Amino acid sequence: MQSPAELKMAELLVEALNLEDIEAKDIDPEELLFGDGLGLDSIDALEIALAISQEYGVQVKAEDESTRDAFSTLRSLSAYIESNKSS
Amino acid sequence: MKNHLNHNCYPLVDRSLDSYIAIILSLYSPLKLNTKVNISQFLGHVYAVAELLPPHKYAINLCENRYLFMVSFCALLIKNQINLLPPNKKLMTQQWLIEKYKDVYVLDDSKLGESINFTSVSESEASGKESKQFVVNILKADFVNAEKIKNIPNIPLNQLAAIAFTSGSTGESKPNEKTWQTIVESSQNNALNMLGNRNELMYQLATVPPQHMWGLETSVLLPLFTSICVADVKPLFPQDIYDALYALPSPRMLVSSPIHLRAIMKLNILSPYEAPIKVALTLCATSPLSKDLAKDIEILFSSTLREIYGCSEIGSMAVRETSKEDVWQLFEGVDFSYQKNNMIMARTQYLPQKIEIFDDVKLIDENHFILKGRSSDMIDVAGKRGSLQEINNVLLGFPELVDGVIFIPKNNSKVERLVALVVLPDSIEVAILKNYLKKYLDDAFVPRVILKTNSLPRQENGKLPLAEIKNIYKDLLKIKFQ
Repeated sequence: MQSPAELKMAELLVEALNLEDIEAKDIDPEELLFGDGLGLDSIDALEIALAISQEYGVQVKAEDESTRDAFSTLRSLSAYIESNKSS
Repeated sequence: MKNHLNHNCYPLVDRSLDSYIAIILSLYSPLKLNTKVNISQFLGHVYAVAELLPPHKYAINLCENRYLFMVSFCALLIKNQINLLPPNKKLMTQQWLIEKYKDVYVLDDSKLGESINFTSVSESEASGKESKQFVVNILKADFVNAEKIKNIPNIPLNQLAAIAFTSGSTGESKPNEKTWQTIVESSQNNALNMLGNRNELMYQLATVPPQHMWGLETSVLLPLFTSICVADVKPLFPQDIYDALYALPSPRMLVSSPIHLRAIMKLNILSPYEAPIKVALTLCATSPLSKDLAKDIEILFSSTLREIYGCSEIGSMAVRETSKEDVWQLFEGVDFSYQKNNMIMARTQYLPQKIEIFDDVKLIDENHFILKGRSSDMIDVAGKRGSLQEINNVLLGFPELVDGVIFIPKNNSKVERLVALVVLPDSIEVAILKNYLKKYLDDAFVPRVILKTNSLPRQENGKLPLAEIKNIYKDLLKIKFQ
């Protein structure tokens, strides 16, 4: 089950990446975003970073140890944003 | 061209021993953060890695860290082994290379964790097949205590140095062989045409991979022959790119692609960068750059932006200042000429054969041309070029497929992704087809969206009118989101 924050993040992913054949509510929060699972790539990571910056005001940086884990699933990404956003 | 070429060898590096070739910005490097590496230290690292190398003919060079890639590349050269530069890091690709070249091992720096691995080596692919290849991790070399070397080794000009593979759409990407002579002459030519008369040391940041032609030419080979000190990182996110540029001394040079430049500008609009950075020269290639984006980058970085046109077979061939001009100027030493059927062939002094240019090019005079369009079959997804026909052939090879087509929807300003419309038996899930495509296609060309439909509007001659396909696609989306 997605939490409300995870659903919001899923909607952002679908919108930012034009995942037209997927509905936000159907993304498994534990599914891997890259590689197997959703099969996203580095260009998608770039789009996600920009969308996150726009929506949450959080600047994504890959040199942060935490970012590497954050990008593994919808759940981890949502948790990362919740703990890093200013408001 | 320099006269060393009269001999049968040319030095591995054409720079003074105390000049800087690399600067360490990666937190995961075996070398200390912010250190600059001079040629003498660099050669020490090359010999230290060369000692690790097993006696085989070929090595797949997968090093991620740009400096470690450069060291490995040169270590292979002094051992007379050949760098295989794959279009991606997929296991499938490695297996294909091993089958093709046999006497192969893999060079890797994987414990570095220098960047998040956003490439999709699939788990099932990794665990399903027992990997037989022989992997050498170059971090076993002692970088910190490596001896400084005062003698620059010479490499025979006819030695095969590297085989670069085009980012072709299917696994069967085309090998482009580069002898040391080709590398020396093309790099000297690139220095002249990309950098002009600059002689002062420039600090270069590149956002593109060292294994691909554009990154190889600019961030690995140029520093061997001209005054460039290259950062060892490959930043992806715009904030990382900005921070890395900020960490570099002046004068700075940025080597990038339209995708990364667009992200830099977009983040600047969302939250303007705090400190202004001056970048003396920005070079951009891999896919077409818009005039507006070129202007914006020049203003943001107080920079001159040169866009480079090239192909995998030859490398960089032409340049323009995109903010000011539409016309491309051919590099000195590169000629385009019309052949029969109005085909354009490119020729350089450093490649024996002529190369066909597939794009729609109009020659203005012998040194200038206009790029009217890309060839209709050749598509560009996320900076990778592939043949739409080859991609469709892979789709049509899916055993259960009744009918199907892959195309570019061209529906917004974001990075274009491919879409597939397929007719499949009810029992076959789209996910099964997607996994099949992932096995045979480069990630960039796997359709992002695959939609099932009942039939496709094939004409009697078997052709599918694009306009009708797009209409079906739009209708399917409407139904889905009603």
